[in-house]
Amino acid sequence: MRSIKLASELKIDSVLKPEVLVIGAGGAGLRCAAEICERRPGTSIIAVTKVHSPQKSHTSTAQGGMAAVDPKDPIDRIVYHMFDTWKGSDCSADQNIIKAVCESAWEQIVWLERHGMHFSRTEEGRIAKRPFGGHMLNFGQVKAFRSCYEADRTGKGIMDTVWGESLKHGVVFLNQSVATELLFRNGRCVGAVVLMEQNGKFVAILAKATVMATGGKTRMYQVSTNCRQNTGDGLCLILQAGLPVMDLEAVQFHPTGIVGPGILASEALRGEGGILRNKDEEPFMERYAPTAKDLAPRDVVSRCIMTEIREGRGCVHPDHKLPHVWLDLRHLPEYIHKTRILEVCGFFRKFVGVEPRHELCPVTPTAHYQMGGAPTNEFGEVQKDARQIVPGLYACGEFAAATLHGHNRLGTNSLLELITMGKVVGERVTAYIEHAENPGDIPKDAGSRIFSRFSGYLEANGQEHYAKIRDALRVLMMDKVGVFRNEKGLTEAIEELKMLKDRARRLELSSRSLVMNQDLIQFWELDHLLDISMVIAQSALARKESRGAHYREDYPERSPEFHYHTLAYMTDCGNITLDKRDIDMSIFEAKGEHYEKFGIIERKY
Amino acid sequence: MSQEYDITLKISRYDPDTGRSWIQDYHLKAGRILRFVDLFRQINDEQDPTLAWSSSCEHAQCGTCGMKINGKPLLACELLVKNAVELFETHTFRVEPLTIAPVIRDLVVDLEKAYDRIHLVKPYLIAPAPPHPDGDEYRISPRVLKTYEEATRCINCFCCSTACVTTQRNYLGPNAMLANIVRIMDPRETAEKERLDVLHGENGTPRCRTARACSFVCPKEIDIAHFIALAKEGAFRRSL
Repeated sequence: MRSIKLASELKIDSVLKPEVLVIGAGGAGLRCAAEICERRPGTSIIAVTKVHSPQKSHTSTAQGGMAAVDPKDPIDRIVYHMFDTWKGSDCSADQNIIKAVCESAWEQIVWLERHGMHFSRTEEGRIAKRPFGGHMLNFGQVKAFRSCYEADRTGKGIMDTVWGESLKHGVVFLNQSVATELLFRNGRCVGAVVLMEQNGKFVAILAKATVMATGGKTRMYQVSTNCRQNTGDGLCLILQAGLPVMDLEAVQFHPTGIVGPGILASEALRGEGGILRNKDEEPFMERYAPTAKDLAPRDVVSRCIMTEIREGRGCVHPDHKLPHVWLDLRHLPEYIHKTRILEVCGFFRKFVGVEPRHELCPVTPTAHYQMGGAPTNEFGEVQKDARQIVPGLYACGEFAAATLHGHNRLGTNSLLELITMGKVVGERVTAYIEHAENPGDIPKDAGSRIFSRFSGYLEANGQEHYAKIRDALRVLMMDKVGVFRNEKGLTEAIEELKMLKDRARRLELSSRSLVMNQDLIQFWELDHLLDISMVIAQSALARKESRGAHYREDYPERSPEFHYHTLAYMTDCGNITLDKRDIDMSIFEAKGEHYEKFGIIERKY
Repeated sequence: MSQEYDITLKISRYDPDTGRSWIQDYHLKAGRILRFVDLFRQINDEQDPTLAWSSSCEHAQCGTCGMKINGKPLLACELLVKNAVELFETHTFRVEPLTIAPVIRDLVVDLEKAYDRIHLVKPYLIAPAPPHPDGDEYRISPRVLKTYEEATRCINCFCCSTACVTTQRNYLGPNAMLANIVRIMDPRETAEKERLDVLHGENGTPRCRTARACSFVCPKEIDIAHFIALAKEGAFRRSL
């Protein structure tokens, strides 16, 4: 049927012509789509997703909440939220984005609520709010009640709402489909070539505007909270088109991933009094952070755990064979277990067979979030360098780096970014397509790059094994490009990545079918994991300082010399060109009220 | 502690390129706390890269990896080997795709087709009530929210639809029924008549036989049958 003998049989089966193409149908992509539909009813939109249905997107797994200052709040102020975000970013977020996002936050919460999101409520029936790490009143003095949430499934609430609105407005979904090549004409993006996995057909989608929102990419790490599909495909499309990616060295590790699957065990467990212990059951955080102890910031706690493990005070999990420390919840009162941490404790019971009321829980730092991504301006227009944009190409969500997070993200600011920036991009796209020319016919060379790559996979007949390369990559990235980095390790990692890339050219495909061929898709993904890992390692090597989640043992302090964003270009794996983009300091430069809080400030908690 | 089991998986295979279906046996050694999704990955890595299966979040939050194991619809990501051995009292497991949609390959079903039934009930506010006079959010008391909150936790894994004993193929199915009922109970929805017409239409409540299989298998432990019972009695707001 769709099993092919010769790679030369690869072809584009059909052409679709919506006005807007959205690649990645998670929270950001569909918030954007909904905005376009509301502003310009009848706009034809195709949304492509790698998963079976938009509801299965990674957004759905987010737990915490969305930070937003309610204008009716008598004590909280937007400027406090802006300050917390700037401080959390270790002075490398862009202040124009911080301002735009924090100022529109509440309006976007209300939008979600009016469109049916099931927020948790106060006694008065209003949206309930709870405190979260790093969000404070009065420039860092006391915790703020600023996080709007839907129980412990806020991401699902957002996803269901924006998906529902997209359906309501007639957005057409191509599920279980992957964008494999971006299309350009005279420097303008005019769409993409998409492989539909369920029938094995390549389709060219030509659109006036293309929005990329493919999310994060931490599957190259041995322990990761990301879903199976987050393999950096979108970022590789950007790189292959000769465009830059930004700040990829900034990878957030959450300190408490559940050993094995890497599932997140929320900060709430330590907030309720959980204590981290090493193999001798010593509460080791007291030694590193005598005041904040177990509630020190995420990057700090992750480094402490890794130090314990590296100095031989960690354990090795008998089943998963992974190093870890313990999270002790045994001393917490029964009512806390029953009412406040029930769901998360359920993960320990379900996935590692541990009863947290009586047993120690195995945890280890887990790769969680990419602060960097495709560089955009404040309207989500993708940039080809520090100054110019690519007409017709937009990005939002975790995929994009505008950037709200700099080198470290605060909890609850990620979901907020999806909905605020998704809306901004929707607005911008609506205005653009009103006047933009039609994309015209399919570019002559459309598909040539991806067909050449797929030919390589289909014709390869080497002895190498996919799983061995994948596993070697994941251990390598965890060891040498993980929580701790240094010049020696990074240099070794870059050499080993080159070797792995070479080995990946000598795989052998098990089946030549194009229909739901997991093996073929995994080869394609492996190339992306290797390429993006290379950019992370090279960017980390070049940044000879420590900033937020990027920690260099050989340069443990932040340095004014590196007060810029990293731009990286790489059309062939390993052949990287680095450039810089300025950090936007517009709040500081405007010299308005409290501007001095937005200078280069110390990051102490 | 790191006990291993000798496991046999008898997996339904289907090759769309040739139209052939068969059952294939895989023997593997598995640690006690591996999940069934880990076993499939182990088969791909060590024995057979062609076996196709679906997953996404792999911690029971997205509902992609629903399948039948020894006849029971469940999420393969939350079934640990030792629990499966205890639950089914065997080391041999029959693994089949869900029956709610055509199979694309092996254990991968066409969820898009299954979702058609969810789309029929319009999983969004059809006609939202006018905003609160203050211009911000609607006011919903926690007590009202509590009456339908459990139903909002559904992830559309389609385990309930697979378990449902109703033989009529056109039945919307428990999860689509639930998606409709949630929005009848949500005070922000004003399109009540349209929703009730679908609810009690020929593919709605009359098809449900109250066998409660949906509640029994739901991985999120939602008492779906309770909500369908409320619907049958029209007792959505009685408990207030």
